[in-house]
Parts: sequence; C-alpha cells; structure tokens
Amino acid sequence: MSFLAPVFLAGGLAVALPVLFHLVRRTTRKRMPFSSLMFLLPTPPRLTRRSRLEHLLLLLLRCTVVCLLALGFARPFLKRAVVPAPGPAESRRTLLMVDSSASMRRADLWAQAKKKVESFLSDATPADHLALFTFDRQLKPLLEFQEWDSAPAGERPVLARGKLGQAAPGWFETRLGNALISAAEMLAESASNTVEQCRIVLVSDLQEGSHLEPIQGYEWPKNISLQVEPLESHPSGNAALQLVNHSEGADVKSVDEIRVRVSNSSDSAREQFTIGWSGPPDSAVSAQPVKIYVPPGQSRIVSLPAPRLNAGLDRLMLRGDDEDFDNTVYVLPPQVQTATVVYLGSDSEQDLAQALYFLRRAFQPAQSQRVELLVRSLASPLSYEDLKSATLIIVNGSLSEGAAQVLRNQLAEGKTILSLVPESAAASGLSKLLGGERVNVDDGQPGDYAMLADIDFRHPLFAPFADPRFSDFTRIHFWKYRRLDFAAVPNARVLARFDSGDAALVEVPSGSGRLLVMASGWQPSESQLALSTKFVPLLYSLLEESGAAPPITPEYHVGDSVPLPSISAVAGSTPVLLPDGSRFEIAAGETNFSRTLMPGIYSVGTGPLAPRFAVNLDPTESRTTPLAGEELERLGAPLARQAPLVHTEAQKQLRLQNAELEARQRLWRWFIGVAIGLLLLETWLAGRTGRKAIAPEAASL
Amino acid sequence: MQAAEKSSFPSASLIHPQALMSIRNLELRARVVVEGFWSGIHRSPYHGFSAEFTEYRPYTTDDDPRYLDWRVFARSDRYFIKKFEEETNVRCYVLADQSRSMAFGSARYTKAAYAATLAATLAYFVYHQGDGVGLLTFDRRIREYLPARHRPGHLRRLMLSLEKAAAGPGTDLEAALDRIVEVVRKRSLLLIVSDFLAPLDRLEAKLAALAACGHEAILFQVLDPAELTFHFDDPALFEDMESGRSLFVDPKAVRKPYMRKLQAHCQQLQAACQRLGMTCHPPISTDRPLELVLFDFLRERMQRRALTRRRVRANGRTNMKAGIA
Repeated sequence: MSFLAPVFLAGGLAVALPVLFHLVRRTTRKRMPFSSLMFLLPTPPRLTRRSRLEHLLLLLLRCTVVCLLALGFARPFLKRAVVPAPGPAESRRTLLMVDSSASMRRADLWAQAKKKVESFLSDATPADHLALFTFDRQLKPLLEFQEWDSAPAGERPVLARGKLGQAAPGWFETRLGNALISAAEMLAESASNTVEQCRIVLVSDLQEGSHLEPIQGYEWPKNISLQVEPLESHPSGNAALQLVNHSEGADVKSVDEIRVRVSNSSDSAREQFTIGWSGPPDSAVSAQPVKIYVPPGQSRIVSLPAPRLNAGLDRLMLRGDDEDFDNTVYVLPPQVQTATVVYLGSDSEQDLAQALYFLRRAFQPAQSQRVELLVRSLASPLSYEDLKSATLIIVNGSLSEGAAQVLRNQLAEGKTILSLVPESAAASGLSKLLGGERVNVDDGQPGDYAMLADIDFRHPLFAPFADPRFSDFTRIHFWKYRRLDFAAVPNARVLARFDSGDAALVEVPSGSGRLLVMASGWQPSESQLALSTKFVPLLYSLLEESGAAPPITPEYHVGDSVPLPSISAVAGSTPVLLPDGSRFEIAAGETNFSRTLMPGIYSVGTGPLAPRFAVNLDPTESRTTPLAGEELERLGAPLARQAPLVHTEAQKQLRLQNAELEARQRLWRWFIGVAIGLLLLETWLAGRTGRKAIAPEAASL
Repeated sequence: MQAAEKSSFPSASLIHPQALMSIRNLELRARVVVEGFWSGIHRSPYHGFSAEFTEYRPYTTDDDPRYLDWRVFARSDRYFIKKFEEETNVRCYVLADQSRSMAFGSARYTKAAYAATLAATLAYFVYHQGDGVGLLTFDRRIREYLPARHRPGHLRRLMLSLEKAAAGPGTDLEAALDRIVEVVRKRSLLLIVSDFLAPLDRLEAKLAALAACGHEAILFQVLDPAELTFHFDDPALFEDMESGRSLFVDPKAVRKPYMRKLQAHCQQLQAACQRLGMTCHPPISTDRPLELVLFDFLRERMQRRALTRRRVRANGRTNMKAGIA
C-alpha cells in the first residue's frame, strides 16, 4: 500500500493521547450537595491501577479510531500500472507585452526584459501561439499571431528575437491600463476557441505612474490570465524634475522666474540635489547650480531666475540622482508674437472723438503678443514696405485711385482690410477697391439709435461670442450709420445687421484676402462700440482671423500634438528641426505637429527667429517606485498563480499517476467510514459504562 | 431510635415520617402527630395564691395579714405566710432554623420539612393545651417573628410561616437568641429546632443569657441519616449548601474522622446545655417518627416538673422548720 500524502501518517502518533488520558484518573465531575463541610477534609485525586483496567476496550477503540483517521488522511492507494488516457495536445496562446516606456531606459531594465522574453521564446512549443508587443502610451505590435503562426516552427523564436532586437525603449509615458485592455481584447479576438488557454505575459518595471485606472471596473474576457514578470529596478530610487506652470502657482512673483518641482521617490537613498541652467550639450554654457534638500517621498518647489533670452540656456538639469532619464527639463522663455496693424486715416491719436484714439488703446502690449500700430495718412502715397508686414489694414476715409490700387494688391496677397465708411462719399473708393464693382452707400436713418440684431455667430469673427453669455450686442447703440448696398458685389456676405435690417458688417472676399466693411465707426459720435466690452475681443478676433496666430505654448510632453503657426500652413511645407538634429518636413496644410517623440527643443522653420517649443517627459513617468504586487489583483486583473516548483518530468508523471490511482480507488473513504463506525460504538460503550457507574450511586441515595 | 425502644409508647400507632410527609398540609400533619396527647398540663414556676401550696415564709412587715396561716400560728405562736403555686398558661416560643443547610435530605423529604413538622407538632400541642405559642424563624438573620398568643387563627398564621422554604444562606442561632432576649420579657419556654451545624463558640454564652432571663430552653437537633452515618461510597465533589464551597471528598477515606467530629460537636452542645440546666435532646434522625419525639419531650417535661416540685417542697419545709426553731 502506498500513500499519496504520507505526512499525515505522523498523525498516528496521536494514539499516545488516549493512552495518556486513560493513565490519568479523571477528576470526578459528580457533585454532591451537602449540608455543611465543617466536618469534612479534602481528599486528593488518586491514580489507581483499577481505573486503567476497567476501560481497556474503550482505550482500544479510541486508539484504533486515531490510527484509522491518520491512514485515511494519508490517502492510501494500491499501486498498479496505469495507462494514461490519450488527450489532445494542449496549445497555449500567449501575448507578450514588453514595456518600452521612458522608465525602461533605467540601468539594465531593457536587457532584463529581453532576457525574460528570451526565456518565454525558448519555452514555446510548436503548438503554442505567441505574439510580441511593446507598449508605452499604447500597444505596438512587433510580431503578431499570424506572423508567428505562418513562420516555420523552428524559425519562430529567431523571428521574434530579431523583432525585439530592433525595438528600444522610447520616451513616452506608461499607460499600462490601456495597453492591458487592448491586449486582452486582441487576445480574445484572436483565440480560435473558448477552451484554449490564453495568457498575457507582462514584462515591465511596474512603476507607480503606470496609469492603471482604466482597468478598474474593466470586465476581462474569460479564459484569459495575466502573468506578471516584474523587472528588478535599481534600489536607490529616483528624483524627478518637473516644470510648474504659471497657472498652477498663485504667488508667482514675476515672469522672470521659473518654478520647478523636485520630487524624490519614497525608496530613494539620496536627499541632496543640485539644479542648474544649462545649454545644449555642445555649447558648454551653464549657470551656477542651486542646492536643494528633498527627503525621500517628498517634493519641493524651487524658484529659479529665468535666463536671459539670448543666453543660450534652455534646459534645467538635476544632478545628484542616479537615474538621469528624467533629470532634464527643457524650458523656453515665453515668446512674444508681433502683429502689425496699419491704420490709414486722418485721425488724431489724441482726439477722444475719433476712432484712432480708441484703436491705439485697444492694442495694449501683452506678455505673449504685441501689436504694432502704424498710422498713415490717406493723403500721402502709401508705401509698399509699410503694408508688406501688416497683418491687418484699417481704412477710415475715402480712398484715392492710387491708394485703392495698392490696397487691392494687398487683398490679392491675402491681407485683410477693414474699411470704415465715415461718409457716403467713400462708396467710390470701395468700388475701386473691389475692382469696379458697384457699391451704394448712403446715410442711414436710425430713429433714435440702431442696434445689432442679426449676427452670424458661425463666422469665425463672431465665433468667440457665440456663447449665450456673450452674445448680447443689443446694449451697443449706434447713433449713426451708413446704409451699405453690396447687392451687386458677388460673394459679399453680411455678417451683422442692424435692427432696421441694414447691413452693419459686410465681408467681401477678394483675391486671397478679404475686405470687411463696417457701416458705422466705433467712436462715441457714431456708436457705443468702442466703449463696450465687445470692442477689444472683436478687434483681437479680427486680428487672429487676419493671420496673427496665438503664440505657441512653450512646453509640451512627449507625444503631444503641437499646433503650428498658421503662417507655416499657408506658406507650404515647413521643416521642423528635431532635438536630435534631424529634420522633419511638415506637409502643406498641416496645422499640427505630432511627431514629438523625444524631449527637447523643437524649432519650426529655419533661421534665428523661427518659433520654437519645448517638449518634456511626462512627469508621471518619473514615479518609478515599483507597484505592490497586489495592486493589479486589487484592480481586478485575472492574475495567474505562481507556477509550482519545477519537478523533473519523470517525477511529475509519477505524481500524476499516483494521484489518478488514488482518485480511482478512494480507499480513504473506507478508512474514514470504519473510523466513524468505531466512534459510534465507542460512544455507546462509554455511555453504557457511565450509566453503570451512576446507577449504584443513585441507588445508594 | 433508642429512645423509641426505651419508651412505653405503643409502636403500632407510630406513623413513619415518609408517610407523614406525604400529607401536604402542615397543620394536618401536626394534628395527626399530637393525637392522644391532650392531657398534658404545664405548671408555671410563678408563685401566687391559689390552691396549690408551695412553701411557708416568715411574716415580715408590709405582708398582707390576710395570707397569715392562723393554724400554724396557733400551733407555734409564730406568724407564717402560706405561699401557693399559681397555675398559669405557659408562653412557649418555637425557634425554627430555616437556613439552607436544612434543605439537605437524603430521603424524599428534607431536614427542613421534618423540622417544620416537628415545630408545628410542638406548637399545635402547646396551643391546644391552652397555652400561648409564638414563632421565630431564622437563618443568618431573623426571618419571621410571631409573639406568643392563644387566639383563634393564630395557629394557622404560625403554620403558614413555618411552611416557607429554607432559603437562608447560613445559620446564625446567636442572632435569633439575642432577638428572643430583646422581645420576650416574661419567662417563657423556648423550643429550638435546628441542625446546630454551626460553630458553638458563642452559642453557650447566648444560652446562658436566656437562662439568666428565666427562660427555659429545649433544644431539638435534627439531622439527616446521611449526616449521621455518612454512608456515601464514591468520591465526589461535595458542595456546601450554605457557602457554595466545594471539596473533593473520598467518603471512604473521611468517614471516620467525620463521625468523630460530628460526635464531638453533638457532645459539646449537650455539655453546654447541661451546664446551663437546659435540655438538649440527642440528635434526632429525620427517619424517627415524630410521635416518639413528642413523647420524649413530654416525658422529659414531666420528669423535670416532678423534680422541681419536690425541690420546692423540700425547700418550704426547711424554711418553716428553721423559722419555728
């Protein structure tokens, strides 16, 4: 007889317990109420030979029960040869996910990952299906199931190795939650039948900033298990540098100050760091570093003076940290966008009653944008040089033949001209500007005052006012206006009308540019527009429509899409100089640049004045403290249990055979059954003995 | 039992206590026992002027000349006052122990039931003799006190008090005796029914106080046969019914010392009573018929009365002779 769990035979030693109990005379539990104990003395319990002899049969029964129980739990079976039933060859479907985020640049993590993948590739049998993916912010295929299956069985590992050899960790942040969901769905789709064993093998450093939130509440497909192969990271922790936006801090002293957050991981061994400005590696320009003390698990905000514009310092470097992949923050000083507005008219800037006075004050210099206002008289000939750099041209008065011709050329080049019509005589000038199209202008007759009633908020000029909170223009009263008749002008579009139905603002495309004609001025003698809250936004909206794009936000994260200056979209393909020195051509018409694959300074176009923007590493990627092993399980991931200790194949086979034999014979049931029967007999016998012992006492009382 | 054998009481009319206890009504039990004892008469030790002569006493100033014995004066030329024994009713108090130790009983009834029946029998007997009877039940404190009366309904009230179950935690006979001394001013007959299973250190002093007050006390020590013989066989955890204390006892091992101690205790009690001129009946087993106990009580009373009378008469004659001389 053999035993499947022989360790339980040790339970047979418990047979000593009944013997021991029978040796000790049980203290009587019989209680006898008596009137008074004043004449009685206590008697100590005694061991008597008689007590052992009396219950010999009970002792024997009890010992037998203990032995039978021990034998039953040891799961006995009778050995004989077993012919294993033939079963279908098991195939596994494995999707290998290798982390290629920026944190994998640390130390030898990537080499470890490759080694782990290598072990899976070598263990793969011809029946297995395998796919290899990398992931950072999304899942990227290296080798798909079809490729693996179509390759000859012997060449599959070589193929996968080659694919993995070409891959390398990038600069993107880790979005493990999304990647796991994509992998699970891909695996569920690719599985040919539901009984096939599917697993996702995750090879990652499992850092804290992995963005696991999406898998919380995700319903995992059935028959999919997740096997995690964590990588051993450097034990000394990591410190990170992060730019603090001006909007984050309420107490920003001035724009000349740059604020950075230095975070130290909780498992870090270091506390002292230095931060300093630095230039490109080849420039050897640097500034005096600042010392900072950050205890593990904490963060500090440091204010540093912004470098001068042309000092060549464009990055902040953190020193004193072992992991340097996230120790650089690229910072560009805010760039000022300049737009030129040419005002053609005979107004005085100091006259409160004239339009120029308000125009000058509307275009105040701002931090990110400056508007240069050039005032030219319509009486003098117009200079092409003045108009060349103009983003917007405002005409207030009647145009002469020559001036109209010059402005017409500007329209053809794509410029925007806003024409105010101070008098009905200006109609001829407008007609000349539009190439002889017939335009009628006469004085309007508002009863008391006119209001803007019908505004086309779908037009980009008024789009910023489309929200019902800002769309009320009825508070602006127009005392005087000219009645414009552009019926004869093709493509003329009325953007706003007065409550009388007369046009207030007309847009006429001409050439590549466009002409906007306002029926009234904004000065107080004509209307309340200049004094209203709509005036300045309207002017800036017009300016933006004219091509003065808002300045580029100077900081982005790797992978972000960066809006480009509109001029590059207009001018055709634009080269973008990447941080590694390479160039990338943006196709004409592209408004966004999305190949921000690495941190650094990108410049759009060439030349010293080309707009630049900085791209930094996502701050969450710096949270490199390893996640607790239970975190994935807590979020509902179907983690595969740790594989049992590896046995040799023969031992495994033998164990399986024994287990099968034992399961067929089930001898333990006989042992337990007999033990229960003996227990019942013992209970009856013990009860009978007890009753016998009590009967004489009762009789004696 | 030994008393029953010695007595001339007809054994055929005895009722076994077990049969007696099956009668639920206590008064009925007492009546059954007392049947046949109506003729008993108690004489008071009080002196008065009645038909029964007690003694002669020389005349002194302020004595009433009506009581001068003129015949003695004629004979002896001396003035003597003739004293007569006054026949009065006896004031009898039954003191019944109701402590928890009395709840022990190896038969179908307890010591308390037997003691209550004995007390009821004595009270019934005394009451129907025309004497006043009172009751005092006690355990560690006084539970019930009824003054000695001879009124219609008094006996029933007394029976009701006696029927109450033994529930007190311990026995404090001294307190009961103190209370009797306080409330009973006139000389009375005290019938104390208890198992006296309590230390006797201070009991003698209290009994002496009773004797000093002129009370006559008769002690009935009621014990269960199991207490008297300790015939248990198997070892057991013996629980004190009063204190709740338990003790592992092998009866075979402790029987002899137990019997020795019990005997010593009883002897000590009897010796104390003897010293004080009181009567203490030998321990009464609860299987002893109550008629025998009552018979013993009456016989002992009559013997005692005859002895007293002889003594008094002898004293009277001595006084007269001495006066004449």
